[in-house]
Formats: sequence, structure tokens, C-alpha cells
Amino acid sequence: MKWLINLWRTLNRPARYLTLGTISISAFIMGVVFWGGFNTALEATNTEQFCISCHTMKDTPYKELQETVHWSNRSGVRATCPDCHVPHNWTQKMGVKVAAAKDIYGEIFGVIDTPEKYEKKRLEMASRVWKQFDKTNSQTCKNCHDYKSMNWDKMSPLAVKQMKQAAEKDQSCIDCHKGIAHHLPDMGTSRAPELIAQVGHGVSPVDGQEYYSALTKELFEGPTGDKDAGLLNIATEVKVLETQGDRVKISIEGWRKRIGAGRVIYKDFGVNILTAQLTKEAAKHEGTIRVFEDKQDPMTGLTWQRVEVDIWTNKNYLLQNPDMLWSYAKDTYNTACSVCHTQPAPAHFDANTWPGMFQGMLAFVNMDQDTTALVQKYLQEHSSTFDKSGHH
Amino acid sequence: MTMNRRHFLKGLLSVSCVALGSTSVLKPLTAMAGTLSEPKEDWLVTGSHWGAFRINRKNGVIDKVLPFDTDKYPSDMINGIRGLVYNNSRARYPMVRLDYLLKGWDSDTTKRGDFRFVRVTWDQALELFIDALNTVQTQYGPSGLHAGQTGWRAVGQMHSCTSHMQRAVAMHGNFIKKVGDYSTGAGQVIMPYVLGSTEVYAQGTSWSLILEHTDTIVLWSNDPYKNLQVGWNTETHESYFYLAELKKKVKEGKIKVISIDPVVSKTQNYLENVEHQYVNPQTDVPLMLGIAHEMVKQGWHDADFIQGYSLGFDEFLKYLQGQSDGVEKTPEWASKICGISPERIRELAKVMTTGRVQMMMGWCVQRQQHGEQPYWMAAVLATMIGQIGLPGGGISYGHHYSGIGIPASGAAMPGAFPRNLDEGVKPIFDNNDFKGYSSVIPVARWIDSILEPGKVIDANGNKVTLPDIKMMVFSGCNPWNHHQNRNRMKEAYHKLKCVVTIDTNWNAGSRFSDIVLPACTTLERNDLDIYGAYANRGILAMHKMVEPLYESLSDFEIFTRFARKLGKEKEYTRGMNELQWLEYLYNGCKQANNGQFDMPDFASFWKAGYYDFGPGKPWVRHQAFREDPEINPLGTPSGLIEIYSRKIASYNYDDCPGHPTWMEKVERSHGGPGSKKHPIWLQSCHPDKRLHSQMCESDEFRATYTVKDREPCYLNAKDAKKRGIKNGDIVRVFNDRGQLLAGAVISSNFPEGVIRIQEGAWYSPVGKDGAKAGGWEIGALDSYGDPNTLTLDIGTSKLAQACSAYTCLVDYEKYTGKVPEVSGFSGPIEVSV
Amino acid sequence: MSQTEVNQARSLVYNLFSSLFAWEISEQRQKELTSPDAMVFWDMLAQDPNMARPVQILLATLTQMTTERQRLELAADFCGLFLVGDKNAASPYASLYLSDEDRPTIFGEQHHVMCDFLRQSQLQVQSDFKEPADHLAVMLAFMAQLCVTASDESQLAFLETCIDSWLAAFVDKVDTCDPGQFYSALAKMTLQWVRDDISALKQL
Repeated sequence: MKWLINLWRTLNRPARYLTLGTISISAFIMGVVFWGGFNTALEATNTEQFCISCHTMKDTPYKELQETVHWSNRSGVRATCPDCHVPHNWTQKMGVKVAAAKDIYGEIFGVIDTPEKYEKKRLEMASRVWKQFDKTNSQTCKNCHDYKSMNWDKMSPLAVKQMKQAAEKDQSCIDCHKGIAHHLPDMGTSRAPELIAQVGHGVSPVDGQEYYSALTKELFEGPTGDKDAGLLNIATEVKVLETQGDRVKISIEGWRKRIGAGRVIYKDFGVNILTAQLTKEAAKHEGTIRVFEDKQDPMTGLTWQRVEVDIWTNKNYLLQNPDMLWSYAKDTYNTACSVCHTQPAPAHFDANTWPGMFQGMLAFVNMDQDTTALVQKYLQEHSSTFDKSGHH
Repeated sequence: MTMNRRHFLKGLLSVSCVALGSTSVLKPLTAMAGTLSEPKEDWLVTGSHWGAFRINRKNGVIDKVLPFDTDKYPSDMINGIRGLVYNNSRARYPMVRLDYLLKGWDSDTTKRGDFRFVRVTWDQALELFIDALNTVQTQYGPSGLHAGQTGWRAVGQMHSCTSHMQRAVAMHGNFIKKVGDYSTGAGQVIMPYVLGSTEVYAQGTSWSLILEHTDTIVLWSNDPYKNLQVGWNTETHESYFYLAELKKKVKEGKIKVISIDPVVSKTQNYLENVEHQYVNPQTDVPLMLGIAHEMVKQGWHDADFIQGYSLGFDEFLKYLQGQSDGVEKTPEWASKICGISPERIRELAKVMTTGRVQMMMGWCVQRQQHGEQPYWMAAVLATMIGQIGLPGGGISYGHHYSGIGIPASGAAMPGAFPRNLDEGVKPIFDNNDFKGYSSVIPVARWIDSILEPGKVIDANGNKVTLPDIKMMVFSGCNPWNHHQNRNRMKEAYHKLKCVVTIDTNWNAGSRFSDIVLPACTTLERNDLDIYGAYANRGILAMHKMVEPLYESLSDFEIFTRFARKLGKEKEYTRGMNELQWLEYLYNGCKQANNGQFDMPDFASFWKAGYYDFGPGKPWVRHQAFREDPEINPLGTPSGLIEIYSRKIASYNYDDCPGHPTWMEKVERSHGGPGSKKHPIWLQSCHPDKRLHSQMCESDEFRATYTVKDREPCYLNAKDAKKRGIKNGDIVRVFNDRGQLLAGAVISSNFPEGVIRIQEGAWYSPVGKDGAKAGGWEIGALDSYGDPNTLTLDIGTSKLAQACSAYTCLVDYEKYTGKVPEVSGFSGPIEVSV
Repeated sequence: MSQTEVNQARSLVYNLFSSLFAWEISEQRQKELTSPDAMVFWDMLAQDPNMARPVQILLATLTQMTTERQRLELAADFCGLFLVGDKNAASPYASLYLSDEDRPTIFGEQHHVMCDFLRQSQLQVQSDFKEPADHLAVMLAFMAQLCVTASDESQLAFLETCIDSWLAAFVDKVDTCDPGQFYSALAKMTLQWVRDDISALKQL
């Protein structure tokens, strides 16, 4: 109840420092504390009027809402603040209310009383709201937008595809629709947000099973410690050997060229599909890389060695199958690479030609590093090296 | 008034007005009269390949065009912008060739180019278009339709014409597509084998680092000062700041520039004090081999770099030193072919291995037979010099293109209206049976395909079966500019049953079509564009300046109507209109840049017209590779520079062996094959006053450079004198493939045995003897001066199968026949069928 | 016959010529133009010896055109003459004939002049007629308006400066380029009419 004490202190400051908003809030507090009408007061806080009685709410999120379809649309149905932010379920409702007290505190103490300060805090506040939506599985959205009531015929095929996938899992709406009612916060350089939104954060791995990396992942020499052992490429198949805390020990199979330190692992013999890059130290570390047979690649004259690598990585971002990754990569490739010309079919080139073609065009597309690596890998793994079906 | 007249007028009043009368083309003025609004100064913003502008209107007509606020080095092509909208060859109404309208697929196709057309409504035109698509899909299947011949378009992420056409046609059915392009066809195929990327379209080392570190710049058949005027997206012209700095440094003696080129380039004339190194046309490879030989002989090459970063030098060395073919590639050997003294070749070897050397390749040398070779050999030279990956050293293949070398801002750029069908959308004719024909063909082989369907050709390690094409659809792409050998094209066009063209103008492409749909220009629609194709300097609003002229429509509107007729409007537009699309694209960009750039909301952006991401950070090409070739391998099969490519060698192509090789051309001037009959080499480089064929239609601007209404041909004084030609004469240029008229400009920039006619000059055929009619005939005289009337239509090699426009010999004479009026830049000349 | 009636009749003729330069002859229009009333009109017009020959040609085409093919051929003549460019064609825009420039283009100075005239007269070009305001059809339609609204002096001034100043050059071009006879006859008839009207206005 520290916030309440602080609140009282504020209320005791001379009135001229109080804004209209804080007076309303104080009225609310009075209502709760003195008049005993708890539920009545709570209902009062469930109105839009209450929410926007404070300046910050009125000037920023409320104004942003007014630019969206949730405010103005042809059907005339309007979503107000509590429709989205206050769950109907009583327990959930109380959770929100307690969390909201923090905003009131913020308002009163000037934490977010200027647009600049608001922007600084936006991510933190949004994250809290998103977390709330995660917890309730976006129940407030679903009060109006029910997967079961959706008319697939009236949606674009693209929307149908994405929606049906979401419906099957009863996915939380906010997973994909962040920023639908208010401006998105500055998410900094968080990695491949769209990709993660589509494929998720991965599953809890089970020892002995095979998984695919959802992002380019850091490798470590041991189950603990920060000693960097290199990077595991995105969309790479690994086998989980054991789990310790947040880390898993994985086994990677592949081939390496017998040049340099031999620390770059490729998917297969003579095929430049990147699997992992180890640090020089990790590559030298006894027992990390197990070396098997040698073979010379007739296309380059280089000698390749079959290898197995046992190494540690964080247990997040591991997927059970790569389908979602390939689906995301395909969409991205078809969209980004057709702006200037018809994109060649993946099977138009072989796996070793794609890096040259793709990298030679990268200046024209916007892709973060994870997505770039993913699309390249998608093209390589679906290239004529593997896809012998079509004549192109 | 005479009695007679009064009598007539009186009688007239007794006649029913209904019979004669028609509704007037005038009506009372209403407040909504858009085109008649009072003039007001607003200076809206827009972009183009030629730069960004601010534009003012008067009476709904574009009045003045000024360079955009940030453009400090505007191109003088700004003077042609107004003429893009207001020119006499505008396509004004949907039109159909009369005989096609009457007979459909049984129409007479032999006189394509000179036919009568009739105006039809948009509905009729689109229905005829769809009827033709139905016919081709039901009678021939997808292999009968080629809707994939695309090229440069007008700028704008929303209205990019080929995306609209291909998305819409794909809703109807499948079709043949192309791979590669005419500009860099050989380069973009060979370089991934050698340096692991197309190189031609890759960002290059920043100019600022070149200015700081480079001792010698070698411009190899490269004219950046000419070519940087235009860009794939709206050009910022920031490159010109660096060229101005370079000029200063050259003057101060701090940087040496050598231009290896048969001609004196615009860049050389601008920079002054440039060392010009003449070379016989098409003999760059012997010159490079001679230089390499000397480097090896003197031990000037960087053996460590070769050892650590490349593969196959030993195999190449056997060729260089003559062990493999018995011919040692000495400077003396090279000299006989390339026309440069052995001493000078040795000197060049010294210069190129002294200090920091940046080689900058132009694209011209790869647009010739065996065009793969000079690019590959240049990479070998750069590897031998050993400076690849160092600031201001190594080799680049694009410093003349779209502002390559301006550091990139790092901002995410807006997306575009999708070219592909959305996930789950199926074409009406969902048929993928190409009947054994290839569904993708090398871009420059489509005429071969029409003429020799079923023929199997080699291409980049694959076999391609040329499809039997019956119908073609072009949008914002004039094949009668970019393809070679007009008379061969005519022969092929006789075999086409239906040609549909969506264009802003009656260029030759439209005139050789059956259905012509008028598109509006960029200035007649709203759009947004990337400011700086590689610099990614900002986002530019492209405000609609005037309503679409006549009945022209935006590409989006044309194909929305088309999709509506297919019952697929929503799948096409996703339920969004033009401005909603722009907002969607902008918001996508804003979101992608979140955290990096604080972009305003769409409305504010649209009002301001521009958002600036600011300058980027200098960058060095191949630096990461040099630092750690294991972790940052090149995209080659080995990950290293491939001086010898086992992969290419494995194809066993006689015209593209495993290492760079000198091979004689089918036509070569200065003593080469065919030079006795036609001694002059035709150089059809990218124009100085256009973007390919774009802006040729700008009548007023064209008049600033034409000679007696013709495209200029640049002649050497001695050659001209020998032929009795003076400046300003009309010249007939000819070979066994064709003939054209052009206007003589005698210039000391051009050596003996060379003529320059810039590509992009609109093909304007008239009768063989200069008669007004007869442009449709094979052997017709081109009255304006399109060099592709004369060029050779063969692939560069079995590897790239790219165009070989620079392998072309001609002769010329003073034209003494009947001088025809230029037939282009207007509608078709009618002949009755 | 009052001057007002005369002016109404003149207006009708200007509108007729305007419409014939504005659109191709549709089946419906062909019917209208060959209706009994219309035939009376053509007969009267042909009484002027200078008009007789063109009227005869015009009528021959209109009455003998029985198939869609024939109508399309006439439409192709129209298209080639007026819709595609300025070479081997007779572009119907005043700017192309009156400009001092070497390379006059569409939407030139005369378009602005006409825009100003139209605005002053509270008129605008119909939205389905997407042509510049210096199109002959617009000018003739404007003249039709002037006949019933403006003074004789104004009418004369407009006719002389805006139409007669280039009409003869245009008619020559039509005559040279017309693959058929209909539009060259129409052009000649229009020129004759304008010339007659000018002299009539001068005599008033």
C-alpha cells in the first residue's frame, strides 16, 4: 500500500499543483476509502470518462485511439478504453486495476507528464499491457472478435491463411496485432520482431529430440558462463542432448572445409549452407568437434570433412519443425524480391549459386540479419540442389 | 448578312434540333471543376529517375519544374520533365488495331507497325484483352503467353507498372517469365561464380574513402558522370559532390585517373587532366592479359593475397604463359589485338600495382559477345593487385549506377505494391503445364523463342527449351528499344497472334501492338518513392500534379478494372485505394524504422513531402571477406575468389571456358572479322539525355540535342571527311541487318573506326527508300536513329545468353535520298490492309 | 426572322460541327444525321455553292454506311486524324498551329487562353470529353454559346482570333492526311461556314 501513502502525501500538497486529473483520482480514492461503495466506485473507473480524466491519457493514448478503426468505422461500434483494457472476469479485472494504479502514480509524480517522458516510458507501459493481454489470451479482443464467428469467405486469402493458423491455436490476438489502437513503442533493435511474431519463441525442448533454430543463436562452451563459442545459424536442425537450467547441449552434424581453422560448419558435403560458425577457441577445444571422413569437392577442389559438434546454447527459440520458418521466408522473399523484377523460383539456381545471386541484390531489400540469413537458407534448401521436380 | 444565309438560318430553325443537336462538350462551371481551378502556387513534391522536383501548376497544367531542395547537382534532364506529360505522342485513349478488332487472332500481322487503330472504351479494351488471354490459355496454355518481359519502369513504390501488370495477369493464368536483364546480362551471371555476388547491383566502397585512400582510379569503359544522372529510384545526385571533390584532387595531383576506353568519355572531359588510354573496341581482354603477363613476369602481383583469398591461379597461369594453348599472352601479343604499344601495356602493369588502386568497371564491355570475359579477367587483375577489401582499393562494377558509393543510411525502405499473387489466390486458368517448354527464359532470347520454338539452348548450366509464344503483354517496357535487330523482330512479330501494350506513349512498342492501353505518367498519380536507390537517403512523396490526361489511367486503376472483370478486384487491391496503399506502405516503413528513426505519421509526411534519414556511414566493399574469409566467405562455390571456376569448366562451353579467355568476336573493327566490309564499330551506350528510351518523347527537350530532327551520331573527323560528311549532315548508317538515318556530330572524342549512337532513340521506320509508308517492311529505313536497327541479336555465350549489342559493325555515308519526316513520336502511320 | 432566332440557328450549326469533331459517328448519331429533318438541313446547306460538294461527300458516307465494318473504318479515319499525334495526323489543337515554338505540344498557350475564356463565361469542358480546352470541338462549342449570349463584336473577335487564325492550316492538314473523304469534307465545310459567318458578322 505504499502507493496509497504516497498518494496521500501528494493530495496534501497545495491544490494549485494538482491537475484536474489528480482531483478526479482523489475523488476515486475518497470514494473507495470513505464511502465504502467499493464496487460502485470500481464501476465508475470502468468508464472512458474516468480514464481520460487525466491529461496524459487524454493527450496521448486517447488521441491515438481516435486515429484508428476501433474509434471510427462504418458500423458505428466504438471500442472505448475499458472495452479493451478491463477484463470482465473479476480476478483479471482486479489485476488490471492494481496495475493501473501504477499509471496513476506515474501521472501524479510527473513520470510521464510530457510527451518526451511518455515516449521514454512507452515501451515499459506497453510491455505491461501486452503481458496482460498475453495472460488473458487477448480475452477483451475476443469479446467482440471471436475466431468461431469469423467469415473466412470475406477475408483475403492471405488473411485466411494467417487467421486460420491463429484460430487453431486460439492464439492471443496481441501476438500479431500490437499497435492496433495506440502507437507502437520504440522497440529498439529487438531482433526480427515480425519473424518472432509469426514463429513464436520456441518450445521447451526434450532431450533426445530434434529441433530447428528460430533465430541465429549464440553458442556457449558450457551449461553456464558467458564464454562465447560462436553462432548457430537460423533454421538449422540440431539434436538436444541434455538440459541444464536455461541451456541445452546440442549436437550438430555437418561438413567443414579443410581450410583456415575449420570452424565453419556446413549442412552437407560441398554445399555452402551455413550451419554454425564456431569461435577459434571453441573449434580448437578438445572434444567439441569430432572429425570423420574426408572427401574432395570436384567443383572447387577443396577437401571437406564430415564433423559432429557438441555445444551449448540457450534453450529458447527452438522449434519442432521448420515449416513456419520456411513459410515466413517464402512470403518475405516473394514480397521483397519482386519489387524490381520477377523473383526467380528457388529451384532456378543451385544451393551454391544462391548466396552469390542473393547477396548481389541485397542492397535493394530491407531485411534484418536474421531474416536475411533465413531467406538465404530457404532459397538454398529449396534450390535445384534438392528440388529436382521442376524444369526451370 | 446575305439573303441566302438568312434564308438558310431561317429554314434551319424549322428543323428539329433533336435531329442535329448533340449534347455540347461544354457545361456550366461548378465548384468541382478540378481542371479549371484558379492558379495557386503550391510547389508540390515529386520524384523521378532523374531526380526530385518541386512543381507548380497553372490551369491544371504543369507550369514550372524546379530541382528539389536537397538536390545540389540537378541533371539538365530536368528540362525534359514537363515534356513527359505534354508531348504529342501521348497515348490518349484505349485503342485496338482495326484488323485485330475485326478478325481477332486471324488478323493480318504482316504489316505490324503501320496499322489503323480505332478508339474503344476502357470496358471494350479490357474485355478484348481478357478474351485474348482466354484464347491463349485455352488453345495454347501458359507457354503461349509471355508477360514477363519487363524492364525499367517509372519510379514509385505503389504504381510500379510491371508489378501491376504481372499481378493482374497472374490472376487470369500463368505465363512465361524472363531471367536477367539487358543492362548487365553477362555481368550478373558471371560475377557470382567469380566474386560471389552480382557485383553490378551491389553497394560499392564509399566515395569518401576512395577520395581519402586511392592513389589511382582506373575507369574501365566507365562514364559515371554521364550515367549517375539517373537512378533506379529517385536519384539524389549526391555522387556529383564526390565527383567534384575528385576533380579537385585530380587537379592537385593527389589522385590519378586513367580512363581505359575507345572514346573520350563525358567523365574524362569533366574531370580534366585524366589520362586517356585508348583501346581497340572489344579487345579489353587481350589488354588485361598483357598487363597480367607483365605483372607476373615482374613479380608485381600479390602472391600472398592470391594464395589466401583465391582459387585456380595456377590453371590460369598456364593459359597466360601459353602452356595450355601455345600462345604466351605477352604485351607484344596483346598489342597486336588491342592497339596499344607493348611499352604502354608494361607501364599500365606498373601503374596498376603501385599505390592504392581502385578499378571501376562500366557495364558496356559486358554487352558484347563473350561479355563475361572482360569482367572475369578484370577481377583476376584486381586479385593479382591484391587490394580487394581495402578502402579505396580493389574493383567495383557499379560506381556509375544509381548512386552506388554514396553511403547507405541504414534505414528500412518502404515496400511496394505486390507483384505476386497473395497467398492462396489462384489464377482462373490454374494450369502449370508448359508442355515441356521452359517457363523462364533468358531475357534477351525471346525473339529466338518466337522464331524457333522448341529449340533447346544452353544457359548458365541448364538446358532451356524455347517456348512457342503466341501472345505478349508489355507494360511500361518498350521492347522496340531494348532488343537487338529490328528487322529480325519484325519477322518474329509476324508470328505473334496478339500483342497488348500498356504505355504512356505511342512508341514503336505501342505501334507494333494490337491493343494499346493508355497509362498516365508519374505526375498524374499519387505515389511515394525511395530517395536514393542505394543511399536510402529518405522517403519522397510523389504528389499528383495533374489529373490523368485524356482517358489515361494509373496502372493501379487499369488493373483494378481488369481484376474487377475477372471477379477478383478485392484479391487485387486488398480492399485498399491508392492513398490507403500509400499510407499502408508508409506505415510499414515507419514501423520497420521504429527505434532507429522517428518518422512522423503519414499525414504529416504527405504534407511535408519528404522525410530525410540523413547520411550514412562510409563502408568498404569486401572488407569483411578480407578480414576473415572463413567466417565471411564470398558467395562463390568455394567461398573464395575463383580465378578458375571448376563449375563453369564442368559445363564444357566452348564460348565460356573455366578461366577468363580471349576469344575472337564474330564482328570486330580495327582489323577484326568483318571489318573489311563494315569497318566502323557502333557504340550504342546509355544515353546522356535520356534514361534508356524514357524522355525521348519529350519533344522540346529532344529538340535541344537532335540534328535535323534526328538522333545525333558522333563521328570521328577523319572518317567523316573520307565520306564527305560535314557537321549537321544527315547520315545513313547501315550494315546487312538494317539502316538508319542520324544527324552528324563530328567530335574529337571519338577515334577512327568508331561511331556512337546512343540507345533509347525511338525506332521510327519509314519505307526502304525514305517513302512515308512502308515502315512495316523488313529492311525499312529508320528515320530517327535507333542503333538497335543495326545491332546483332546473339547471346553473349552459352553461360549468360545475354545481349551482345556492342558486337556490331556498320558503315555510313552521307544520305542523298529523299529525306523523310521522322515518323516516330506520334501515332502509327496508317496503311490499309 | 429576329436576330435572336438567327443566333439560335447559328449556335445550332456550331454545336453540330463541334460534335462531329468531338466524337466518332455512332450508329445512333448516323441515324440522327440522316433523319428527314436532318436531310432538310443538309439540302439547305448544299444550296451554298461552296458547300454543295462537301455536303454531298458527307451525305454519301452517312447514307451508304450500312455495316459495322464501314462505321469502324470511319472511326479509324477519325482516330488516325485526331486521336494519336501530330504527324501524319491533323491534331485538332489550336496551340499546335498558333505557337511560336519549334516544337509546340499539347496543352499549350491556347489551352490556357481557352480555360480563361471558359471560366469567365462560367463554363467548363464536360467531364467525359477529356481533351484540352483548345480542341477545335471546344472552341466551336464555345462559339455556339457566344452566338446566343455575346455581342456581335465579341463573337467576331473570338471567331477571328481564336478559330479562323488556325482553322485553314488545320483543314489543309486534314485534307492531306485523311485516308477517307468524310473528315476532309467536314473540315472544308466548317471552314466555309466560319468564313461566311465572319463576313456576315462584319456586315452587321
